[in-house]
Amino acid sequence: MYLKELTELFGVSGYEKKVREYIREKIKGRVNLIEEDPLGNLIAMKKGRIDKRLLICAHMDEVGFMVSNIEDDGRLSIISIGGIDPRAIIGKKVIIGEKEIPGIIGFKAIHLQKDEIYEPPKMENIKVDIGVTKKSEAENKVKIGDFVAFSVESKSNERWFSGKALDDRCGCSILMDIIHRDIDLYYDTYFIFSVQEELGLRGAGVSAERIAPDLAIVIETTTSGDNPEFPSDRRSTELGKGPAITFAHSGYVVDERLFRWIIDVARENGIPYQIKRRTVGGTDARRIATTLAGIPSAVISIPARYIHSPMSIINLEDYSNTLKLVSILLTKEARL
Amino acid sequence: MKDLVRKLTEINSPSGRESRIREVILEELKNSIDGYEVDKLGNLIVWKNGKSDKKVLLDAHMDEIGVVSSFIDDKGFIRIEAIGGISAYNLIGSRITFPESGIEGVVGIEGETPQDVQKNLKELNFDKIFVDIGARSREEAEKLVPLGTFGVYSAEFVDLGRRIVSKAMDDRIGCAVLIETIKMSNPYYKLYGAFSVQEEMGLVGASVVAFNINPDFAIALDVTAWSDTPKGYKRMSIELGKGPAIKIKDNASISDRDIVERLRNVAEKNGIPYQIEILIFGGTDAAAIQRTSSGIPSGTLSIPCRYVHSPHEMIDIEDAENAVKLLKALVEEER
Repeated sequence: MYLKELTELFGVSGYEKKVREYIREKIKGRVNLIEEDPLGNLIAMKKGRIDKRLLICAHMDEVGFMVSNIEDDGRLSIISIGGIDPRAIIGKKVIIGEKEIPGIIGFKAIHLQKDEIYEPPKMENIKVDIGVTKKSEAENKVKIGDFVAFSVESKSNERWFSGKALDDRCGCSILMDIIHRDIDLYYDTYFIFSVQEELGLRGAGVSAERIAPDLAIVIETTTSGDNPEFPSDRRSTELGKGPAITFAHSGYVVDERLFRWIIDVARENGIPYQIKRRTVGGTDARRIATTLAGIPSAVISIPARYIHSPMSIINLEDYSNTLKLVSILLTKEARL
Repeated sequence: MKDLVRKLTEINSPSGRESRIREVILEELKNSIDGYEVDKLGNLIVWKNGKSDKKVLLDAHMDEIGVVSSFIDDKGFIRIEAIGGISAYNLIGSRITFPESGIEGVVGIEGETPQDVQKNLKELNFDKIFVDIGARSREEAEKLVPLGTFGVYSAEFVDLGRRIVSKAMDDRIGCAVLIETIKMSNPYYKLYGAFSVQEEMGLVGASVVAFNINPDFAIALDVTAWSDTPKGYKRMSIELGKGPAIKIKDNASISDRDIVERLRNVAEKNGIPYQIEILIFGGTDAAAIQRTSSGIPSGTLSIPCRYVHSPHEMIDIEDAENAVKLLKALVEEER
């Protein structure tokens, strides 16, 4: 499990370099092929028993921000990269650019607020404070176009893991674990660590086109919604109930044969699983499925609370059950 | 042709669950084609050889909008999510059928006071409605409609004479037009007919069909909106019974100019009524086909349809018959 290192890396969509280098370093020598495509997706392959191809994909990028302007007083205007709730970011620590300059997303203290406390903050009023007072000082440290990531140290005990960027470093970690296990793979298995998923599934499609697999499985980290205040009938998934299996999401109904196959394998092996209940949001599966002459695709996710915020939480049993399920699936011929 | 439309629209096959409708279409066509393929996503592609090597693709999507069960409470009430553009307003007062298990349910709305119900009706969404299949416990409902079971409107085909009504005119009427065109024509081009999947989820099937076939040009057959009801859509001019509509533009694509002119010329030459369509919203498979590979000239021929995406979509059968005549003349025309 590589969650601690992976989630503490800086890898906002469009700037996945550090994550990619880390993964490449950890898996080299364990795969039959490793390459990077022109968009920055990392592709690794392990030979299987038959001459057919399976693509398994997790995205490396995380949501974050980009510096869009440096104000006269040295504070930074930012735009979001991916879907972020501005209410979840004020007062949080961030790091900026190649040199990882520390900063704080500023806000008005409660003492100075009246009714505006009931209004969600607007991105145009949010500034990042990097401890300078002049534009020129700021320009020595950061530049327009620098990426901004949450700065969060992960924490865990035997049951829970918390940190930023679990969506989808969790998936990346699962793929890396599988590469390190000596699994008797059925297919020639292509492990794709994709870029820019959070900006609209931009990376995975070109990898799928390069590899032309017979089928694809996307490993995601998905929203749970099992906060105590949220009614149980409107939750998407729940922590501790096992990997979540998707029947449909935005833009794609998962291949029915694969959906049922995954459930059957989980049942036969006594692995707990849950059906993901909400269909909002999409994954790389939509993009992969519509590539070339069509690639049947499925999605398996680890449930996480508070995703797309500076801090999310997963249950480590869900992690290990997902790893177990995916490991077994990869030894078998898919039902297609 | 009405009988064919009735047969196709009575099949319950929402996006992602097209195997039932695919079998019926294949059965209908198997003696009239030179070959067929079911591709990796489930699209049915049939072909009929022509005199020329050039390929024309006619596409109609065989899926329909629907719902999927997503939660079952202790008493056996079922929460649903939308599959495609289905409105909670159209679900109120409707019945849902879950074809995988043959179970019917009625749609209910939350509300602890009459005022609550009024408020929920005003701001209706899927959080406020549920399906009641008459189960008396969670266990009973879970057995009949497990999570991830797909459903569609339960609504009968109605024959009103020239006008006919069904839950799935969108786009089984396109499928019917395509089937009749394939059966009746001796094409000059090699004619490919694609019955595509998951259009309602965002043109999923059509883009891979076009990649697979790489046709010289393509025409999508789909329904379009209407402007001929009381205070119907302004800024549009589409009426039932005035002929199939040659699409110039919708919100997802602009039809290839050459295809538009050819359709118009063929209609004029053969005395087939037609209308010109500019749809101010919406889109068809043509948008996905057009952008496939290095680009495929594409257009859409539409069947005017009232109350699209409701349980009761109405068309004029003569528009469909004229669409068949127009397409037959087009694919038979030597060039």
